Amino acid sequence: MLDHMTDLTPITALGATAARTESFGALTITENADLGLASLALRKGQSAPQPFGLALPGVGEVVSSGDYGAFWTGRDQWMFEATGKAEVNFAAMLKAEAPECSVTEQTDGFTAFEIASSQGAAPIEALMRKLVNIDPKALGSGQVVRTGLEHMTVFLIRRADDRLAVIGMRTLAGSLWHALAVAARRLED
Amino acid sequence: MLIPHPLLGLRDSQEFTYLGDASLMQRPDASAQNAEAEFCDYVFLRDNPAGEHRELWFHEQGDRSWLVVTRDTTTHEILGAELASDVKGAVK
Repeated sequence: MLDHMTDLTPITALGATAARTESFGALTITENADLGLASLALRKGQSAPQPFGLALPGVGEVVSSGDYGAFWTGRDQWMFEATGKAEVNFAAMLKAEAPECSVTEQTDGFTAFEIASSQGAAPIEALMRKLVNIDPKALGSGQVVRTGLEHMTVFLIRRADDRLAVIGMRTLAGSLWHALAVAARRLED
Repeated sequence: MLIPHPLLGLRDSQEFTYLGDASLMQRPDASAQNAEAEFCDYVFLRDNPAGEHRELWFHEQGDRSWLVVTRDTTTHEILGAELASDVKGAVK
């Protein structure tokens, strides 16, 4: 035991010790502080690996299996997600699965907010219409898009018709939460 | 204004940033004898056409790809878009 060590308290992207969750009518927004993220890029001419048994998804698509998932971010580039892997070296796990590819740690660069609707797709789509210039009908279940939301760059992942994940820059977590919460609150009126 | 991204379909031009003339992709050979004169033209000289213009746009709030967008400078009509990596690959 090192008694000179500073007593550090881990905090989430929003600055609290516990992940934030808040409900606005049919919509509940939850900070997903457990999500490990790492990006994978193929080098020129490389064939696609299958990390964690996942076939790399095509343009604008998402795949998942158990605790692991991957979504397309650009040509020959993907982001991998892992539930409960925020506090371990998930990038090293991914690199071990695909040693030939370029892998970069992303957990500390992003924050994920999960939005769930208790009344089907309609409240999710109403929220999207308020916030982004993306046709909600074109972002069906299993699809992902990167776009601008109040001048912030975000990934929108339609995990299901009634669930949308918003992954944005970690340093802007407070502003992103504010944008989502204000829009969701206004939908209640 | 909407840009027809070759992979992602019609996307809001606000997601993009603009660089300039697509001829910037033809960088002169730095080891050539006349490299200084070539680079001088490359850096400072631009055509300024009234009409069709091929230009580089970066999909910053998107898939981070570079596009070669053909735009009519007199009407701002977007006539087409290609991935710059494909254009570059075809030249070589």
